[in-house]
Amino acid sequence: MARRDRWSAVGLALLATTYLVAGRAYPLDTLAVPGPGVVPLVAGLVLLALAGWQLAAARQPADEAATAGVPLAFTPLALATVLVLYAATLPRLGFGLASFGLVFAAARLMGLGGWWRPTALALGATVLSHVIFVTWLGVPLP
Amino acid sequence: MNELLGALTLQNLLACLAGTVLGTIVGVLPGLGPAGAMALVLPLTVKLGPTAGLIMLAGIYYGSMYGGSTTSILVNVPGEAASVVTTIDGYRLARRGRAGAALAVAALASFVAGTFSVVALQLAAPLVARAALAFGPAEYFAFALLGVVLLATLTGGSRVKALAMVIVGVMLSTVGMDPLGGSVRFTFDVAGAQAGLSFIAVTAGLFGVAEVLATAGRPAEATPAARVRFRELYPSREELRRAAPAMLRGTVLGFLVGLIPGPAATIASFASYGVEKRVSRYRHELGQGAIEGVAGPEAANNAAAGGGMVPLLSLGLPFTPSTAVLLSGMLLMSVTPGPFLLRDHPQVFWGVIGSFYVGNVMLLLLNLPLVGLFARVATIPARWLMPVVLLLCAVAAYADNNNPFDVWVMVGAGLAGYAMRGLGYDPAPLVLGLVLGPLLERSLLQALTIARGEVSGLWASPQAALMLAVALVALVAPAVLALARRRAGAHP
Repeated sequence: MARRDRWSAVGLALLATTYLVAGRAYPLDTLAVPGPGVVPLVAGLVLLALAGWQLAAARQPADEAATAGVPLAFTPLALATVLVLYAATLPRLGFGLASFGLVFAAARLMGLGGWWRPTALALGATVLSHVIFVTWLGVPLP
Repeated sequence: MNELLGALTLQNLLACLAGTVLGTIVGVLPGLGPAGAMALVLPLTVKLGPTAGLIMLAGIYYGSMYGGSTTSILVNVPGEAASVVTTIDGYRLARRGRAGAALAVAALASFVAGTFSVVALQLAAPLVARAALAFGPAEYFAFALLGVVLLATLTGGSRVKALAMVIVGVMLSTVGMDPLGGSVRFTFDVAGAQAGLSFIAVTAGLFGVAEVLATAGRPAEATPAARVRFRELYPSREELRRAAPAMLRGTVLGFLVGLIPGPAATIASFASYGVEKRVSRYRHELGQGAIEGVAGPEAANNAAAGGGMVPLLSLGLPFTPSTAVLLSGMLLMSVTPGPFLLRDHPQVFWGVIGSFYVGNVMLLLLNLPLVGLFARVATIPARWLMPVVLLLCAVAAYADNNNPFDVWVMVGAGLAGYAMRGLGYDPAPLVLGLVLGPLLERSLLQALTIARGEVSGLWASPQAALMLAVALVALVAPAVLALARRRAGAHP
């Protein structure tokens, strides 16, 4: 866990640095009339300090209570890819087709065997959400 | 009184029923918590209008506290973090054949605590709101800062990680227009980001999508639920006699803990168990199936849910992810919580309060006869449930602003939430940082302007100074104590 904590601290430090660099575009002005760059500067510096603290703490013996872990497995990675594809294709394919594909692929990846059961689930969920959100609530889905 | 009775219209009663049933199901299902579920149904509740919509959202919030105990007792799987402690004695009671009695006592404790907390909320919220009228930007800044510091200190995990997540949330809140000057920040020329990151998309991603990804990474487990017949749902007179004092202690303790910023329901349930271990006449039985171990914590977590509504309704400050979603819902419905809520929207305020009474009765009536059905919900295989959750997340994210960019935000938040779980980072502080970020920024800049650039203006008033001092102590004390303990260990 200490190794993961070290890497996550490095990640936080990178995030803080990138944010601080991007935040330089916004003026600080004066403390009496503070500009839109003040809070980003403070937040970025505090996160940088916390990342340093975290890095120092990761040198201590590992805290067993904090050892939460989600293994990097094929299914979550494949599901993540499906989600990225869904977000990319939603405006072109439209809600119905993209959502059918999302539920079908997710059901197959999560172990719903055969073809008709994932198809039925995808069709049912898509039609139901269309009825609730588009027909009933008037949400203009793409 | 008329406004309080407004909760009894057909639409509001149906909204309350739908919210409490949905909340119970969410409480029963491990993983997807009330905040995620509330974010998913937010577009639907907006269409219902302020009073009915908020009644439904609030129903999910306190319904989940009821439902969380069912699987703790029957399956030894807590549906909610606040019900973890109930597994200790609840499951042992179930194994001794007293599952029905444990469930009935849990439901009764939830009802008593829920009703008490509504009465206390009804009395406390207007008083706090009146006191808050004297709050200026410096006091709001100090109170919000105190809230996030206490949250980071009380979450139970690493304080550094929790504080880092609060700051990341504040950083995310700076995307889009700045709250005072209106200049656009950190959008990188993405048109969809100009309105800022959708709170619903972030919440749906961090809680919903991340849960689906985490479930996909775990081997499927069968969770057989114990069957309970209706006639078994009667605790004995002895069990009721023993449960009553624990219930009352848990109720008062839970409400007081609920007023403190942080994961109040979880802390309250553990604190109540700790109190029972010290003061109960039957403390030697705790851990082996004592009814006090169910009654106290279940009362405490329900009372804490009511207590958490006080800062939200009277100050407009949420300190849990669930109340943050509730705040988001209120703002979407053009209802601004805070000191003026009672003056500007009395029908909403009293309608929601009234619905708590009705909701508690509904939950008691629903939970006892339908407990077997709710327990079986927990055994629905993830391969059927999770793909649908994924679709609901996407629809909720899109429907917030009808903006495809928000679907990308949801996907990004989901992947980040999944990675955060693996690295031991809690998403709750991030969500609160995101919600409180604009308030922190606005009140800080306004306070500095009022003080003409003098930083000491932030602690010029006694209230602000006290809150900042408490925040500083909460921040520094654990580190100082740890250092002192280490030194004491080095020189025995």
